[in-house]
Amino acid sequence: MPTIRIPTPLRPYAGNQSQIAVAGNTVGAALDSLTNEYPALRQHLYDGATLRSFVNVFLNQEDVRFLEGPETRLAEDDTLLIIPSIAGGTPAGGGNDRV
Amino acid sequence: MLLLPLDLLTQIQAHGAASYPLEGCGLLLGRQEDGQRMVEAVFPVPNTWPVEAEKPVRFAIAPQDMLRAELAALERGSGVIGVFHSHPDHEPVASPRDLAWAAWSGYSYLITQVVDGVPAASRSWQLRTDRSGFVEEEVIISPSPAPRAMAERE
Repeated sequence: MPTIRIPTPLRPYAGNQSQIAVAGNTVGAALDSLTNEYPALRQHLYDGATLRSFVNVFLNQEDVRFLEGPETRLAEDDTLLIIPSIAGGTPAGGGNDRV
Repeated sequence: MLLLPLDLLTQIQAHGAASYPLEGCGLLLGRQEDGQRMVEAVFPVPNTWPVEAEKPVRFAIAPQDMLRAELAALERGSGVIGVFHSHPDHEPVASPRDLAWAAWSGYSYLITQVVDGVPAASRSWQLRTDRSGFVEEEVIISPSPAPRAMAERE
């Protein structure tokens, strides 16, 4: 079964496990299996039906958005990593609000 | 609560000073137990904010750099437990921008003020679970040296 590594701050919502073997032969199916087993994870990963904008999923060091997204095929021994994007800034300044 | 060895705080502050007048940033590697985060290494990364002229007031950490930090942490048997960045010539207080573009609650968000190129106060913040704001967390500076520190990449 494919494995998903759980980021440290999300482990309390996943039985304090660092990685979890999940059913599913696509990225989307694997994430569905994960959030079905650990429903409390879902709000941290998804905004409605889509992944939150700062949540990235990597397969073999490749962002799945640049593969086939949720339809990306998984092999039995694949490992997915859930990786956030982070940004910020000082209260002052006239920068644009893009990330 | 964030437990931070003094030599790692010194590295974080030096990175903020070296990045001045731009914002500097990086990840905190370590362990989380019973709501406490213990920093074991720091992992500076480039500020990848897309507009160079805005880097004095903005920072971004690219997912690829976050991935490198996660893999480095995995190799050490630890994890990414927080984020650090500097506020050049501004208070080390989490801003509306920090709130808007934060990742998950459960990370420590450590901010270091740098004044005229000299590091000043560092304060750490926790994102509320409902993402409505930040709450300051206690930082305990440990005088003992960290087991090791990772080389700066930039």
